[in-house]
Amino acid sequence: MPASELNRIFYAEDDEDIQRIVRMSLERIGKMTVQVESDPLKAIDGMIEFKPELVMLDWMMPGMDGPTLLKAMRQRPETASYPVVFITAKASMKEHEELAALGAAGIISKPFSPKDLPNQLREIWRNLP
Amino acid sequence: MPNPSQVPPPLTHQPGIVRDAVDRTRVLADQVELLYRQSPVGIAVTVVVGFVVMWELNSARERDLIFMWGALTLMVAIGRAFLAFAYHNAADRDSRPDVWLRRFAIGALATGVNWGLAGAVFFPAHTDEQQVFLAFILAGMAAGGLPIFSAVWWVFAIYAASVVLPFLAVILTYGSRLFYEIAALVPVFLAVNIAVAYRLNRVFVSAYRLRVSYGKLTDDYTLMNQRLERQLIELEEARMQVESSGRKLALFAERAPIAVIELSADGRIQQINREAENLFGYSQGELAGTSASIRDLVHADQHEEFDGRWKRLIEERESLDGFRMRNPRRDGVSLVCEWTVTPLVNAEGTVLSVIAQGRNITQQLEAERLKQEFTSTLSHELRTPLTSIIGSLQLINSGMLGDLNKDQTELTEVAERNGIRLLDLINDILDIEKVESGKLTLFPETIALDELVREALKLNQGFAERYKVKLVAHEPLPALQVHADRKRLLQVMTNLLSNAAKFSPADGEVEVEMREKGGDVLVTVSDRGSGIPENFRARIFGRFAQADSTDTRAKGGTGLGLAICKRMIELMEGTIGFANREGGGTTFWFELPKHVNTSKE
Repeated sequence: MPASELNRIFYAEDDEDIQRIVRMSLERIGKMTVQVESDPLKAIDGMIEFKPELVMLDWMMPGMDGPTLLKAMRQRPETASYPVVFITAKASMKEHEELAALGAAGIISKPFSPKDLPNQLREIWRNLP
Repeated sequence: MPNPSQVPPPLTHQPGIVRDAVDRTRVLADQVELLYRQSPVGIAVTVVVGFVVMWELNSARERDLIFMWGALTLMVAIGRAFLAFAYHNAADRDSRPDVWLRRFAIGALATGVNWGLAGAVFFPAHTDEQQVFLAFILAGMAAGGLPIFSAVWWVFAIYAASVVLPFLAVILTYGSRLFYEIAALVPVFLAVNIAVAYRLNRVFVSAYRLRVSYGKLTDDYTLMNQRLERQLIELEEARMQVESSGRKLALFAERAPIAVIELSADGRIQQINREAENLFGYSQGELAGTSASIRDLVHADQHEEFDGRWKRLIEERESLDGFRMRNPRRDGVSLVCEWTVTPLVNAEGTVLSVIAQGRNITQQLEAERLKQEFTSTLSHELRTPLTSIIGSLQLINSGMLGDLNKDQTELTEVAERNGIRLLDLINDILDIEKVESGKLTLFPETIALDELVREALKLNQGFAERYKVKLVAHEPLPALQVHADRKRLLQVMTNLLSNAAKFSPADGEVEVEMREKGGDVLVTVSDRGSGIPENFRARIFGRFAQADSTDTRAKGGTGLGLAICKRMIELMEGTIGFANREGGGTTFWFELPKHVNTSKE
């Protein structure tokens, strides 16, 4: 369990509406600092600059999907150790297992509840090794 | 078609002894018949010679005696004539020849004795010439009996003896040398005659045996011939039946909407039906009887798998069911077919041929793929905008962004609620699709059912409060475990509880009970609603089942909930049902097999 309270979140998501809701949820309700990125190809650079405590990835994004982005992160020493939570509309058990196998720290299904989202993330954060 | 009444009796083997006995009776019957047939001649000769004797001896002084003898001769003759007549009309002459022989022998004895009497009584009282005459007559009568009686040698023997012996006694009494010489010769003649009769008799019997055997042979032959004819008819009928069922079979194969291919044991194509021609684009003539093998119709990638299957099929006579193969068509396009392959094995275990029946499932698979793709797209494309809609509304309704006025709050809540309803509908449709296509995977684990029930009550309390209904568990719930999918079981409980809450009157209670029943755990959810209408009961667990449309509008819901519950409970090897509740309302229940913890913890 990490020593500090979860505060800095980096979120890669191409849908701007959802970006906005997640940002509002985490900033207003969760009192966290959030950096969002619409272009997955720019995400790694964004992360390196922002230095988040936790990264949230969408699965389906144009240009590069979430799992591929996660693999790319693992290749870079700066981003390799960030815990990653997927937020996805893919709901099947098989897909969830696939993400767990990639080393995802958690999975949040769309639609999620913006009221509960900060607590869900903090729960995952607390359970990290 | 042979008339059953004309069917000859089956030839059964008769054991030797019985057969001999039958033969002997038949031979004897023939002998006896010959005796009786010759009887009229014997009687006529006796009467004629009797008259001649009476005429010759008439001049003598013992006329009374002569007439008495004549009357006796006549009586014996008449008696034998009657006997012959009776025999002629008798029904049992073939079955009881021994009785008729005995009767005939008595007649023969009487005749013989009558002549013997003549010799004994008339001989001494007459002149030399008359004595010679009498001796001549008696010798003639004795010898004359030979052709008449020799059919049965001993009948002749008693006849001849009774003619000759009294005469012999009289000659011996008179004591002259000539008489002694005659007396010495008489037994010799008698013996010779009897021996001849015996020989004749033997020849006769052999001849008759031969005849009877021949007759039997003819009978057997006739019987065999009839049987043969009948068998020929049956064979012809069987041939016609085989031909007609063969035609039927050919028709079945020819008109079947599946590909039917007959193969030899080495996989060469013997015959294909029309559908197979259509499917693969080759004609019967191009494939059948050529070196074309079924292997040529299997995609190259699957040759190895196919060879293994074929080897097992031929060696172990193991038929294949639902075997999927990619089969290249003439134009190179690969079809996917599902094959049933059956070896045709004769009684000796040799594979005569192999019948392969194939169904083209290419389109079916494509349809399934499209459906899955559609479902997946539906899932993703509908959820994404719904995430934004519901998320936005929830943020507004959370009050974190500032307060709205009463009307605004009411409307944003309506929007959120209906957004969630739409999401529920999508989830339900996806669930039922998964369940019905067999794609729902359960993740069973050992669950403390009492705790799960309490959790379900807690999760649904908020929903129930909207209808001013309380969810109440009958505590203490027994601590029982089941082996089930936690998430899906919660979904079932949520469905039952929300249904019960929706249909309960305001300020009512939904009661939840749980208990052990046999090897199962029973959970009941009871409401005090208006009950389930009679005409709805049968289809309550069907898809899109709702009592009436006005209800749907009033209560919300997709009408899929119970259908999903039923299938999920069944997948967890349980049962689900409902019953009217005493005092009004409905009880829904489900049962799951109780999990017995075998490991000591």
